[in-house]
Amino acid sequence: MFDPNMKILVVDDFSTMRKIVRNVLKQLGYSNIEEAEDGAQAYSMLKEGSFQFVVSDWNMPNLDGLEMLKKIRSDPDLKDLPVLMVTAEAEKDKVIAAIKAGVNNYIVKPFTAETLKQKMEQIYERLNSG
Amino acid sequence: MPDEMEEIIQDFIIETQEILDGLDEKFVDLEKDRSNQDLLNDIFRSIHTLKGASGFLGFNQMVELTHTTENVLKKLKDGLLEVTPYIMDVILEAVDLMKLLLVHIKEKDGVEEDLSGIVAKLQAIERGEAAAGKDDASAASEAEPEDETPEDTRTHHTDNEPAGRERDEERESPAQAAKGTEQEAYAHPADREKIHVEQTLRVDIERLDNVLNLVGELVLARNRLMKITSNIESKHPDAPETSKLTETTAFLSLITTDLQLAVMKTRMQPVRKVFNKFPRMVRDLARSRGKKVELLINGEETEVDKSVIENIADPLVHLVRNALDHGIESPEERESAGKPAQGTLRLSASQEGNNIVIEIEDDGRGIDSELIRRKAAEKGLITETEAASLSDREALDLLFTPGFSTAKEITDISGRGVGMDVVKTNISKLNGTIDIQTEKGKGSRFIIRFPLTLAIVQTLMVETAGDVYAIPIGAILETVRVTEEDVETVNSQEVIQLRGDVLPVVRLSRLFGSFSSEASGTFYVVVVTAENKKFGIAVDRLKGQEEAVIKAVEGNLVNLNDTNIFAGATITGDGRVVLIVDVATVMESIATGALVYA
Repeated sequence: MFDPNMKILVVDDFSTMRKIVRNVLKQLGYSNIEEAEDGAQAYSMLKEGSFQFVVSDWNMPNLDGLEMLKKIRSDPDLKDLPVLMVTAEAEKDKVIAAIKAGVNNYIVKPFTAETLKQKMEQIYERLNSG
Repeated sequence: MPDEMEEIIQDFIIETQEILDGLDEKFVDLEKDRSNQDLLNDIFRSIHTLKGASGFLGFNQMVELTHTTENVLKKLKDGLLEVTPYIMDVILEAVDLMKLLLVHIKEKDGVEEDLSGIVAKLQAIERGEAAAGKDDASAASEAEPEDETPEDTRTHHTDNEPAGRERDEERESPAQAAKGTEQEAYAHPADREKIHVEQTLRVDIERLDNVLNLVGELVLARNRLMKITSNIESKHPDAPETSKLTETTAFLSLITTDLQLAVMKTRMQPVRKVFNKFPRMVRDLARSRGKKVELLINGEETEVDKSVIENIADPLVHLVRNALDHGIESPEERESAGKPAQGTLRLSASQEGNNIVIEIEDDGRGIDSELIRRKAAEKGLITETEAASLSDREALDLLFTPGFSTAKEITDISGRGVGMDVVKTNISKLNGTIDIQTEKGKGSRFIIRFPLTLAIVQTLMVETAGDVYAIPIGAILETVRVTEEDVETVNSQEVIQLRGDVLPVVRLSRLFGSFSSEASGTFYVVVVTAENKKFGIAVDRLKGQEEAVIKAVEGNLVNLNDTNIFAGATITGDGRVVLIVDVATVMESIATGALVYA
């Protein structure tokens, strides 16, 4: 599984949500977490810091999750960064757009620590199998 | 863990409150500028976010309500439904219910609301059934033909949105063209202010109050030190240590003042917090009264103390209601008077020196001072003769008399017995004043002024019967020296004559129950003003000016006929505890005859 010390960026415009996600990650043993409140801020933070994982909301002002994802994938420095997208409910069309844009996995909120763990494990396995 | 959850829930409450408060304004803007896609996206995102977080925290009613609302918003956002006043009403009703649900979350009372009514309405709108607003027939014809198609368009286009959207837009264009043939003249697009990111930290208000209190103590200690320093200076002017002490004290004094200001700033909040609620309120009131009103807001970024934010809301709500109910006329009445059908209500805030000024101005029918005179006489507040002799300004002052209301009919907006006197009382609590300017047929303007901070006040220290009291400098006009012979008694009220004016005089010693009289012979009268009236406070000696940090005082000590005639207490430079006279309350006591002399 991922190194518990890996640096994770949590992106959401709603600070309560960031806290919730942070809290769930903490339950899974991750503590090296930073926060960004929209895609634009997240992108510039990613450019600067050595992040190893991103958990991002979809619907945000300035730069939404999907646009941010596209920017990450087209950036040579960041293109391999694992991104987990959080969506409100299973919206098929959206999810497909995200997969096309190269999201590693998505999770539907509200989710439990257990679900998040599974999703992260799936990402880890896929990254390390091929 | 439970603690962390509790903290998250607290954050959720605060953040959700902000979102919901902000929504009102956005919806009102949206109603003016119905095709504003950015605004729609913004609103959609807020509700969407709220739903997400509520789901995590298990607030199921909130989830249900936000979910249903979100569905309607999505259709509006995607152009499958048209914004109509009816839809707005229903969504706003839903937002109100969200606020109520938030209260239950806050109170942890476990109360559930009956959401079935609102959910049914929202779902009907979503299905396109209820889109026909009672007063917006055009929207109905647009919404219905679209009813069947959108669902298919949505579900079949799984690959990406654009294809679906293009088709929607094509269908939309005739509708949009129709909309262009203005039905209502909403003139200007909402000025969208750029959302800026702030570096903020939420701090428990108790901690801030504690810091402010400590700074208050520091100021008092500084004042004492300065007094001691000046004593030493006069005793040992040439000692080398004296100049060092003076210098250090001066430096400490400067820093203390800066610190005081800095701490006060931490308690300051933009008046936006209060102004926020008005767009929605004005919209609802105007709609229910069949009036057309445009609300213009200026200076909402002006910062005032937190206590001001808390105390100014009620008076402002009252004044805004009055403006809509009594001030601004019906569209027909306005047109026949040669005015635009849409009235304008202007709400502004600004800082003038050490004062904050808030103005509420309407272009309505103005206040009829003749009507006020007649009403006041009818109600027995004044006699016919008094009424006839009042100047227009004095007549306007009658508005603030308890029991006065000019409403011809009681409406649900105003005229419910909560009168302008309450407005005045609330503003007085902030050491503020309110002025009225009005012109018949043109409109009215209410000007509220209050000091930047309530915590510190410049005072004049006075002595009477051996006790020292502080009178706020802001209320003092002048001081005069008089002799016992200058005092006359008119209708059992002591007065003096000052340059031809008759001035009521209150004796501090008797007022506060210390029975030894002022030194016979000469004494001083401090002429003070409150509520546009003047009176004199008789004291034995004037001791000089001093900065007073107001400390609240509780208990019976300071009550006179249930009226607190002291604004609080302070500690002087020489270490004495001194009571601060609340001039406005003393004035009221004189006016209502509550003051009975020993």
